[in-house]
Amino acid sequence: MQTVAAGNDATFIDGSTRGKATDKLRLPLLSQYLREQQDLTAVERFSQHHEDAEAPLQQKFYRELIPLTTPGPGQQYGFEVDLDRCSGCKACVTACHSLNGLDEGETWRSVGLLHGGTTSKPMQKTVTTACHHCVDPACMKGCPVGAYTKDSITGIVRHLDDQCIGCQYCIWTCPYEVPQFSPKRGIVRKCDMCSDRLAASEAPACVQACPNEAIAIRIVNVADVVEQAQVDTFLPAAPSPELTLPTTNYKTKNAMARNMLPADFYQVRSTHQHMPLVVMLVLTQLSVGAFILALILPSLLAPSTWALLAPFHALVALVFGTLPLAAATSHLGRPQYAFRAFLGFRTSWFSREVIALGAFSAAATVYAGALFLGSRSDLWPGVARVAVAVSPPIGWMVALLGAVGVGCSAMLYHATRRRWWNISKSGFKFYMTAAVLGVATSITTTFAALFNRSNELTPDVIQYGETMAIVLVTVTLVKLAGEATIFFHLSDRREHDLKRSARLLSGELARTTVFRFSLGLVGGVILPLVSLTSLEPSSSIGAVMASTVCLAALVAGELLERMNFFAAMSSPRMPGTLR
Amino acid sequence: MADRDPSSDDTLFAKASSAVRKLLYDEHGVLTRDLLRSPGGFGLGQVPARLKPDRTTTMVCGFCSTGCGLDVHLNQNQAINLSPATEYSVNLGMACPKGWEALAPLRAPDRATQPLLRNELGLLKPVEWEVALHAFVDNFKRIQTKHGKESVAFLGTGQIPFEELALLGSLAKFGMGMKHGDGNTRQCMATAVVAYKQSFGFDAPPYTYADFESSDVLVFVGANPCIAHPIMWERVCRNPHKPAIVVLDPRRTETAQAATHHLPLLPKSDLCLLYAVAHILIREGWIDRTFIDAHTTGFDAFAEHVSAFTPERAAGVSGLSTTAIEGLARIIHEGKRVSFWWTMGINQSHEGVRAAQAIINLALMTGNIGRPGTGANSITGQCNAMGSRLYSNTTSLLGGHSFNVPEHRQKIANVLEIDESLIPTEASWAYDQIMEGIVRGKIRGLWVVATNTSHSWINQSDARDVLDSLEFLVVQDMYCTTETAIQADLVLPAAGWGEKEGCFINSERRLGLTKQVARAPGEALSDFRIFKLIAEAWGCGDMFRRWSSPEETFRILQECSRNTPCDITGIDGYAMLDEYRGIQWPLPQGATVERCSERRLFEDGRFYHPDERAKFIFDEPTPVAETPDSKFPLWLLTGRGSSSQWHTQTRTAKSEVLRKLYPQDPYVEVSPLDAANLGIEADQWVVVRSKRGRAKARAFITHVVRPGQVFMAMHYEVTNLLTFPDFDPHSRQPSYKACAVRIERLDRAPQP
Repeated sequence: MQTVAAGNDATFIDGSTRGKATDKLRLPLLSQYLREQQDLTAVERFSQHHEDAEAPLQQKFYRELIPLTTPGPGQQYGFEVDLDRCSGCKACVTACHSLNGLDEGETWRSVGLLHGGTTSKPMQKTVTTACHHCVDPACMKGCPVGAYTKDSITGIVRHLDDQCIGCQYCIWTCPYEVPQFSPKRGIVRKCDMCSDRLAASEAPACVQACPNEAIAIRIVNVADVVEQAQVDTFLPAAPSPELTLPTTNYKTKNAMARNMLPADFYQVRSTHQHMPLVVMLVLTQLSVGAFILALILPSLLAPSTWALLAPFHALVALVFGTLPLAAATSHLGRPQYAFRAFLGFRTSWFSREVIALGAFSAAATVYAGALFLGSRSDLWPGVARVAVAVSPPIGWMVALLGAVGVGCSAMLYHATRRRWWNISKSGFKFYMTAAVLGVATSITTTFAALFNRSNELTPDVIQYGETMAIVLVTVTLVKLAGEATIFFHLSDRREHDLKRSARLLSGELARTTVFRFSLGLVGGVILPLVSLTSLEPSSSIGAVMASTVCLAALVAGELLERMNFFAAMSSPRMPGTLR
Repeated sequence: MADRDPSSDDTLFAKASSAVRKLLYDEHGVLTRDLLRSPGGFGLGQVPARLKPDRTTTMVCGFCSTGCGLDVHLNQNQAINLSPATEYSVNLGMACPKGWEALAPLRAPDRATQPLLRNELGLLKPVEWEVALHAFVDNFKRIQTKHGKESVAFLGTGQIPFEELALLGSLAKFGMGMKHGDGNTRQCMATAVVAYKQSFGFDAPPYTYADFESSDVLVFVGANPCIAHPIMWERVCRNPHKPAIVVLDPRRTETAQAATHHLPLLPKSDLCLLYAVAHILIREGWIDRTFIDAHTTGFDAFAEHVSAFTPERAAGVSGLSTTAIEGLARIIHEGKRVSFWWTMGINQSHEGVRAAQAIINLALMTGNIGRPGTGANSITGQCNAMGSRLYSNTTSLLGGHSFNVPEHRQKIANVLEIDESLIPTEASWAYDQIMEGIVRGKIRGLWVVATNTSHSWINQSDARDVLDSLEFLVVQDMYCTTETAIQADLVLPAAGWGEKEGCFINSERRLGLTKQVARAPGEALSDFRIFKLIAEAWGCGDMFRRWSSPEETFRILQECSRNTPCDITGIDGYAMLDEYRGIQWPLPQGATVERCSERRLFEDGRFYHPDERAKFIFDEPTPVAETPDSKFPLWLLTGRGSSSQWHTQTRTAKSEVLRKLYPQDPYVEVSPLDAANLGIEADQWVVVRSKRGRAKARAFITHVVRPGQVFMAMHYEVTNLLTFPDFDPHSRQPSYKACAVRIERLDRAPQP
């Protein structure tokens, strides 16, 4: 075979050239090889094994690992994991991925590591885990659209993918990080114990694939699961089984060292900030606060002042209250199905929040309309009279619905059983946000509305400004102090969820924390004290500007507080590996 | 639904209400169908409905040496999924995560799809194949003309089929006149090769995986099969004899945890310990004199040698109690079928050959060889390390022959129909000698195939400088992003496992087939085709005319193996390999074998030395070149991190699932005691420093490592910045497993 140099400068594919070292060769074999490389027919010459095998060949290995019968009354299927057999190879994770055709990177099973012991007697134990198909599944209870079912015979907790709206609330309610969000599809998906395989007497993918037969499906008695949850024998360092009554049975013949800890125990990483939710929560709370203040303001202001202020105040509160509700649907993976969100009202605080805040914004719209019409007796005197008569009771209803809505929001987080989101924390924060921002908004709307009328501040308004400034300083200090109590946990000896949150807030999230407290102090304490407690009749424009800056700083501060509310959340989880 | 009145169905109201119902509650839509499973046929059971195969084919996995059979699910001959083969004696329907994810790395976005040539601006730019081949030939010929033929060398691999390795080795040495070539197998297997050659007369791991199941005592030395060879551990778990499992390892590895006995010896104290065990066995008369007399030589000298290795001495060196050492000897004595297994803890050592032979000696003196459940068994590393050992034409001449034996050269010259004078009369330099040769200017052109020197070579920063000093570096790889490829002057895009045909040989000597079931991206070509093109371009295409395909090459190599211990002349081509689900060597012409059979060597007690006896080989232990001192007070141990990581991660990092299964940041295991002394807290960034470099890692504080030792996984690029370039004098294998380091908090560490 002779090779022939083309002789001239070779051309790079990008058009540049290089010297004589890159001359071309003429190689007849090349095109043949490039063709053959794309040809896959060569495999056809090999005999195909098991062409006619209908029954699964693997069956002989897993026959003992799945039940022969379906569960009876008071029973269900559950995973059984023999910890003494799990060697940490993680084949179960990949098998589940491949045999269920999951997306790139999507996994429904994971393998963690517990380690402990002493120098002379070290111990480590790998732990495979997936959905525990709980007796009392928190995913199902929390789902706002009924996208979870628990099979009445097998007890398998299934997710109905087409029903899911992608709110991801189940990811928070499940203590075991089971539901996995698929951004591509906008829904969550999860392990269904390969229910159709079990129905055909085939083993789930993980059971088939464990080289050491560490995973099996067994029939469990629900009563036993409940009983065992009383004594917390589930698995060291795992979330308490009393939360959801998980049915997986982790068994071992070896006593575990008392100090067994997950490999990722000290690994704390901030989580997603969920901006649409941050904005929605803070602004709806502002709105609720402002509407509640609207019940008090008439007693603080002269009737003529109030009459002037009321429609404007209500409009501002309404805009803050309803727009973010619409924006919050952008948090959903499938916002086009947001209308399903009320379906789960029987068990889900998510649905209840949607219903309460929906009713609140509807009532608020009516209320704002009534106040507007009531103020325009020049246009339609009859309508105005009726509007004036009905607006106080509607106002009370708006305030009530708003208060209930904020409560539902707080309960939504409380229901996830995360200590950082406990009602004492979320309830305090949400209602206090309503108070701080409600007061700050009221001050701003008052001065703004009056500035529109005249350039002089009347004595009742000056008095009002000073009173409200003191109220604002007080509620702000209470809120900031309440928030700061989390840092007491930094001195805790034991590493736990709240200490992790405190570590995040003072570590990875320290910048947000500093900004948050600075903005709160500036907008809710320093500025009000400096600019609103010594008003002159002539400081009308100054009052508008000062109160607007206060409000802006406070809103920004509350937004940062809420970002950290999400980012510093340390979730309970099954023992993990180093990440 | 069947009892519905069809006439009422048509009303607008009914339609509307059903539409509303579906809007509100949709149980069976397109998203649900995404995850439907349906019977896959071919004995697979249910598979994802949208990935239902129209055909399946079995091939061996391309990661480690276990050699698992994988059933590739095909649609129009293209791989769409895979599952482990049930009817395959190696893995019995199981695979580790790497096997399950074997197709994912083929789809990586950083696949090399065109040849890349460094232009005058110093940038790697895509060029046409013709240009690339000309650059290859032109530069290497220029260097050879100026500095002699041996100034160009190659570094191969244990990751590609042996037909390709044989073509590479033959093309380089017989066609291009190179003298030196070695493979990355030097980094994992060289020690076992030399140990077996010297002890048995041939590089012959004697066992079959069935031995895992039939032993009543298994002794693992420097091996962590739970993580490194999970499917071999599967076979251990299937052992019905409730075996005693002894693990000798400084760390409390997963295997040590699962074992019945763990002896956490100090790093590199293995040789002394193993001699002490032999000492006790002899002292107590727990030896098989009949076997020793009939089938071995050199026992008496060995007995005299180990008489100095008292349990007390070994206890002092290894940090174990004499009771533990005596106990180990007793367990071996009481076992009826004792098997010994070693991996990199032995191989990657400054005296690995002698340590491996100390294990072999234990098996020989107790007669634990050639029977089910016995053997001194080296567990290999890479999928085709064993193929490389026999057919890469580097250290040994094709078919396990020797370059320095005239009859061997003549035989191979005849088989290949080439001039005998083309065959070098001595073996190549080893990997480290080639690197050293580059430093000394003896080697100026290097061709690296399917390995990642710039990551994996010991004392890495030095290695990168060495490669940078080359006049011309060619890297032939699946990826254009490996640490070595980005240093190259020319990158040749190679097809990967699954995109080409050829055979691997696994740890138990089983030949298994890989097939072309995926299209290589762009203009990537199989290594075989690249070698053929280079032969044509070089002008020696005629020499390889008969090597027209991997299977034709296989037939040539069968001929090379004739009348050797690894004789495979009895295999009737790829079809038979496929039909028999892999075949172990030897299978000489005329011999018969069962389908799916499992065979071991030396059942007749005849070894491969001319006297058919095995040799007791031993030596004085030598000190480790670098031990902890006051400045660098800790031992650094290295090894595999998890079963989802493979070597330098060029492939395993390309699967998103595998990425989820191992720590993303480099980490260092530190004992709680050392961590407390150094003020290191869990998960903190620390600096690990040796005399050669510094590595940033997260602290994982765990009792798995003992005080005075730290562990880092080899997969992270930084680890080999620290390792000490020490080598076994017999095998030239680098000693990755032990060097001295210190460790400090990142926030307190002085900047470099």
